[in-house]
Amino acid sequence: MLNRFIRYIQRYKGWFGGGAAICIFLGLYTGLLASPPDYYQGELVRIMYVHVPLAHTSTLAYSVLFFGSIWYLWKRDPLVDNMCQASAGICALFTALALITGSIWAKPTWNTWWTWDPRLVSFSVLLLILGGYLMLRKLVDDPERGGRYAAILAIVGGIDLPIIKFSVEWWRTLHQPMSFSTRGVAISDDILVPLTLMSLGAWLLFAYMVMVRTQILYLTDLLQAKKGRLLSQTHFSQTSP
Amino acid sequence: MTGLYARWAIMIGGILLLATMTFQQYQRDLSTISLATVLNSPATTEPVRIQGMVKSGTLSGAVEQGQATFELIDGPTTLAVEYAGPPLENIRELKTIVLLGHLDHETKTFKAKDTALISNFGFVAAAYVIAVLSLGWAIFAMSQRVMVLFKEIKEEKLYEPEIDPLANKE
Repeated sequence: MLNRFIRYIQRYKGWFGGGAAICIFLGLYTGLLASPPDYYQGELVRIMYVHVPLAHTSTLAYSVLFFGSIWYLWKRDPLVDNMCQASAGICALFTALALITGSIWAKPTWNTWWTWDPRLVSFSVLLLILGGYLMLRKLVDDPERGGRYAAILAIVGGIDLPIIKFSVEWWRTLHQPMSFSTRGVAISDDILVPLTLMSLGAWLLFAYMVMVRTQILYLTDLLQAKKGRLLSQTHFSQTSP
Repeated sequence: MTGLYARWAIMIGGILLLATMTFQQYQRDLSTISLATVLNSPATTEPVRIQGMVKSGTLSGAVEQGQATFELIDGPTTLAVEYAGPPLENIRELKTIVLLGHLDHETKTFKAKDTALISNFGFVAAAYVIAVLSLGWAIFAMSQRVMVLFKEIKEEKLYEPEIDPLANKE
């Protein structure tokens, strides 16, 4: 079922890419030019329009990896494995960028590039888990076995997601509390518009990137399989009497 | 490949347009000039934005009522300031502030009528540049890789129907 969904949605890849480009362009315009500066933070609030969507998208990407890994262990579908591998790489990129932009934001507001804050630490752990996932896939010789081990790691690492989400409520933290919760939305409309546009753009961009990366992995596998078959064919014709 | 490069040219054009507009807005609304530049500029009542540190021991007046005098330091240059405007909430000695106003060339005193937060726009620009360039480069590299893979498959004629070697042998 998931295999068919992945194949089906690949047809609309361009729509996701186009939608992401439009949303991000509008988001950048409203975020950098149209929205007012914050009363306390001044112009620095504009970093939020790039940092928060990156951070949200990296947790979304890890959720895709988490559920995809469960599905892969259950069905052993190589296309789902490709999608998981694609999600992991892109999630690592988004997580690293969220940490870098967060650090840039922290310097003028907290007067430090880094602090051992629960949100920051749990988010960094996510990057370490993703690094481990990608290394496992590279280091294990048998790709099928590597995929299986990596899927187990991704499922175990899923424990970090609720820790990231609730770290600002469970522990004393410098990081601001949740802005979207059951208690409502604690953001003014001026800020909400660019933030929503950029978040939507980042989600669509992630979907587009996963589709392209899955396609690359699929085509690489196909090429290798075909080349291998041709090589064996050549070898057979050379060695046969 | 041409379609890919055309799409990217449009996107880079859009990003450059936004960057130019942002820079213009920064120049118009946020950038500050040095105290030395203000002192050496011709007499004008056009408001300018200056940034400097309040010199220790010079702050006096009813700060909470929006009336204050102090000296501002920017490197080796010192400038006397007379502030009359909205109440100053967070002003204190040795604090770096941004003031809006004009220079009275006769008394060499800066007549300030408002303050602003330090823009720190370098941090904002750094965050955007790093995010946009990294993501842009990653997507471009992936799109190019897909094209190369398709080309490779096409050139290698790997889609040609394969001949069963065992069937050939017979």
